[in-house]
Amino acid sequence: MKGIRLAKKIIKTLIKDCLHYPSRLIIDTFGVIARCGVLLILYWYIFKINNGVISGTTFVFAAWSIFFYFSFSVLRLRDISRLMMQDIQSGNVEVLFSKPISYLFYRIWWQIGSGLYSFVVITTLAVIALGFIIGFPETMTIGIFIPTLILTFVCASILSLLLYSVVGLLSFWIEDINPVFWIVDKAVMILGGSYLPVALFPAFMYKIALYSPFGAAQFVTHTVYESWQNNWYQLVGIQLFWIILFGLVVYFMFKKAKQKVSVNGG
Amino acid sequence: MNNDSIIVSNLTKKFTFQVKNKASGWLKNLFFPEKKEIVAVNNISFSVKSGERIAFIGPNGAGKSTTIKMLTGILFPTSGKINILGLDPTKDRKKLAYQIGTVFGQRSQLFPNLPLTDSLEFFGVMYDLSDSDIKKRIAELIKLFDLGSFIDQPVRKLSLGQRMRAEVAASLIHKPKIILLDEPTIGLDVVAKKSLRDLLLKINREENTTIFLTSHDVGDVEFLCERTIVINHGVVIKDLPTEELSTTFVNEKYIDLIPENIFNSFPELPEGIRYSLKDKDKIIVVVNIKKINIQESLRKLLNIFEVEDIDVYNVDLETVIRNIYERN
Repeated sequence: MKGIRLAKKIIKTLIKDCLHYPSRLIIDTFGVIARCGVLLILYWYIFKINNGVISGTTFVFAAWSIFFYFSFSVLRLRDISRLMMQDIQSGNVEVLFSKPISYLFYRIWWQIGSGLYSFVVITTLAVIALGFIIGFPETMTIGIFIPTLILTFVCASILSLLLYSVVGLLSFWIEDINPVFWIVDKAVMILGGSYLPVALFPAFMYKIALYSPFGAAQFVTHTVYESWQNNWYQLVGIQLFWIILFGLVVYFMFKKAKQKVSVNGG
Repeated sequence: MNNDSIIVSNLTKKFTFQVKNKASGWLKNLFFPEKKEIVAVNNISFSVKSGERIAFIGPNGAGKSTTIKMLTGILFPTSGKINILGLDPTKDRKKLAYQIGTVFGQRSQLFPNLPLTDSLEFFGVMYDLSDSDIKKRIAELIKLFDLGSFIDQPVRKLSLGQRMRAEVAASLIHKPKIILLDEPTIGLDVVAKKSLRDLLLKINREENTTIFLTSHDVGDVEFLCERTIVINHGVVIKDLPTEELSTTFVNEKYIDLIPENIFNSFPELPEGIRYSLKDKDKIIVVVNIKKINIQESLRKLLNIFEVEDIDVYNVDLETVIRNIYERN
């Protein structure tokens, strides 16, 4: 009960913090429009010059898949790595370790709270806008779409938090995790389908995207395709496998990390 | 009944880190690096009674902050035992956190963009207080710390003095039995320092909160703490009532001599006495009481000078502490 109350308080406080600074939301919105918008315009053109179909996929599917990636990225779950690194480098970790909370629990909920407001606002507006401009593919209107999207979204969020927590926890040993973060982040971006929609991946790369934790952390991008209706349980199963594995890694890393704390300047 | 709130026995903390050996190749440095060990805290023992006000002082790198961090469960000791209110910080960090408050002078625990009330409410939830208890406690803290005038301002807009008062208030939201403060007055002006010291004294008297602080500010030690533990190179070198610091550590007394008219000459002084100030209107001499006692030195000085007034006093605490550090 205490954990739920604290999680709610963290989210409520951070949303209040966001509301104090509406300019952040505007910047986030422009960021998504710029990055996602440019890609969508490019793909619209590429699909057009290929008579509207590439590898059996039309622009509408590709566009929604890319959008789901960018919408998910607004949550900024990956920033948990850098936040942990900053805690270590600045010595702020000592403030959090002196409180009656689990550092990891606190940082995870903090990260969720940090991006939630922007995510809800931007996603809602963008879904309406995109639906109005390009319409919805048929796969998004069938019954299982919403429940399975929510399920894979929750799994993707947990997996992303765990994956990036592993990177963040490395700062207890190596302090500057930027090179590791860069590799993991780019792997997630590419295999998650941010540059190239997953439906256009070559077969071997599709398999890597399917079975690697980097791709699994972005399975929301798979939900718009027809294949999702038949293999969603397999993909969610892959996500659950990685969640359990990374959950254990995070648990044991954190157990060791607690004993490794050395506060800079102290 | 044992009323010790902190018991530290043979506490040691060693830090090891890798050092690059220029004579070795990069491969050897990568896989078989040389390790260097630093003993930050070396076999220290002390205990603190409930309601005591302790200054834990020492020069930079003496091991003060490392000790505080071990007391709060942030750092794990290499060896030795810590018992705080019956709990072991290494095993019961979270349980202990409900009993203690911490203030790290160089770090903030408050939300910079939100009003102070939000931070106080947040910590209330963190310490599992009910909503009504949070409201009640915030009202108490506003009154106690005089926070009313800036409670609704974003924390980043507060002056450093106001912020430090707010930091201490936030660390007291759960009525801790012990408050550990790591350089709480760092960077504050004299007025803000005094205000913070008054507040700490008040919570010690009104709520019987044990105060354990590290500081480089002699005023904090002198004004606030009844007992001082001096640490240097990780070793406790003295543990005594603060008022005894001067008499125990310095074998010197100062004597001010005020002339009847003016001092025209400054003759050579007897052995064990030296000039600290030579002025027509005032002479200050330093007496080494190991070589000559005060009575004898006064008699000799009165034979040399014609004075209207005499004042004998100890050196200030800052000099005492400097003296202690330099000796060790």
